[in-house]
Amino acid sequence: MTIATASAAARFTFGKPENTRRTVWLFLGPCVIYLLIFSIYPLIHSLRLSFTDLSGAGGSGKWVGLANYASLLADPQFWNAARNSAIMVALAVAVQVVLGVALAMFFNLQLRGAWIVRGILLLPMLMTPIVVGVMWRALLNPDWGIIDWAIRKLGLVPPDWLGSVDMAIITLVLVDSWQWTPFVLIIVFARLQALPQEVFEAAKVDGAGPWVTFRKVTLPMLMPAIVFAAVFRAVDAFRSFDLIYGLSYGGPARGTTTLSFLAFQNGFQFQNYGYAAAVAYAMLLILAVGMTVILRYVHIRGGAN
Amino acid sequence: MSVRPGRVLAYVVLVLLGLIGLAPFLYLAVLSTKKRIEITAQVPPTLNFNWAQISKNYTEVLFSQGMLGFTVNSLIVVAASTAIAIVIGTPAAYAFSRLRFRNSETLASTILSMRFMPPIAVAIPLFLMVQAGGLQDTYAGLILPYVAFSLPLVVWIMIGFFDEVPREIDEAAMIDGGTHLIILWRIMLPIVRPGLLTAALFGALFIWNEFLVALYVIDSRGLQTISLGAATLVSAQRPIDWNIAAAVGVVTVIPILIFSLFVQRYIVRGLTAGAVK
Repeated sequence: MTIATASAAARFTFGKPENTRRTVWLFLGPCVIYLLIFSIYPLIHSLRLSFTDLSGAGGSGKWVGLANYASLLADPQFWNAARNSAIMVALAVAVQVVLGVALAMFFNLQLRGAWIVRGILLLPMLMTPIVVGVMWRALLNPDWGIIDWAIRKLGLVPPDWLGSVDMAIITLVLVDSWQWTPFVLIIVFARLQALPQEVFEAAKVDGAGPWVTFRKVTLPMLMPAIVFAAVFRAVDAFRSFDLIYGLSYGGPARGTTTLSFLAFQNGFQFQNYGYAAAVAYAMLLILAVGMTVILRYVHIRGGAN
Repeated sequence: MSVRPGRVLAYVVLVLLGLIGLAPFLYLAVLSTKKRIEITAQVPPTLNFNWAQISKNYTEVLFSQGMLGFTVNSLIVVAASTAIAIVIGTPAAYAFSRLRFRNSETLASTILSMRFMPPIAVAIPLFLMVQAGGLQDTYAGLILPYVAFSLPLVVWIMIGFFDEVPREIDEAAMIDGGTHLIILWRIMLPIVRPGLLTAALFGALFIWNEFLVALYVIDSRGLQTISLGAATLVSAQRPIDWNIAAAVGVVTVIPILIFSLFVQRYIVRGLTAGAVK
């Protein structure tokens, strides 16, 4: 269909210049209304729930004011979960950004066949997080898992991956990094490929070695992509729930119970809806504050060119 | 310069990276071919495959445990939710890219920020809504929340693709008297077809993997989706039969594997959507 016939059709159907207001509503209306019903309303409902004692076991939904938030702040389990979330987000972002940037630089060597390996590294990201968790439980099994076998073969003692409270959160970060470091790689690599080559040639002419070039030229130019990837990873690690469900179910001894998992356990397992909603809102508050601080420094919008 | 040692080392690293990505799948695949007893007895597992055992494990998983049915359920839910999200989200993305109206920036960032919302923050009210609407344990009870989850993703990705289309193209059509509806339908949609594929791919992937909502909306085994089915098979029964658990894992991974072979470049486009170029 050519433009001429399209416009002929337009004149035929509408006859007069279109009403922009009506067009905006026509285009945006369904999306906005849908999200109002199925995202905004649940969010508000969640907020309201957080001020009630609604629960599956007797709580009638009576208004209790800030009682849930008060007991939250007095609850050592909340602080334990907040600590686990903080450790997970900080470590996951640090590990994945450092490794991801290193990998992007490595793939920038343009080795033959490298695209195949990049394709392979996309796969973990596409996998169902539950299955990733279960798969790593097999790999890391203390009795027959192949990783412990290999470590013992080298004459070393494997760590108690999922059995020790302090190790389990590290294991969670490692598995999350196996799945998501490629995300940082892809984002940073895309940026790296778009950089003007002249800058690197100029640096070479000026006698800069590879390390100095990386520190003073490449890294500053990669910074927007790195920050973008880090923000996404931080938020997704913070929200992470399925992986924990599959890998460690919050244990051992609540060692991998993050805020997400705590909200899930209270909401669905113990059916303390009011309390779980308060945990969820604490998470939203942390997210909102975090995002506001970050967005002060970087601008993220779909298709920012 | 002929063969530099640095270059050789680089290729060794490349192969190692490929292995780190692939070996966990291969290990899972090998475990899925074993007898239950062999998992604990053979460390590391040997590569002698017994076809009778393989077919026994997979028949068990696909038919007795119902993974085939779960896959069909997932396909239905994914297809319906993704289609609705694309139909609703694409015009919205066009509006953000092309129409000028008050508060457009605020509205766009509100929708896009939903991409970051923890599902757990809305899961309980959504669950209560689904119950109140009598949609507990139905496909619709899954599809309605899933569309809401994938919409921000679709809008996010599509804005990027619309923004890339040169404005001259629709301005020319506009001068000819075309309305936005016709420009979107006749001119833009054919151009942004890769965008539609990318958006559909990411919406579909999210729904394929979703688990939290399914866990509470679906009660009957016959309606379970693939990720929920996998989760109940490997966590409910303790101790786990690891050969069966591994086969469940392989069954969930294979569709994704086949899919990704065909759409690799869309995956990269979708992942980098919104990234500063």
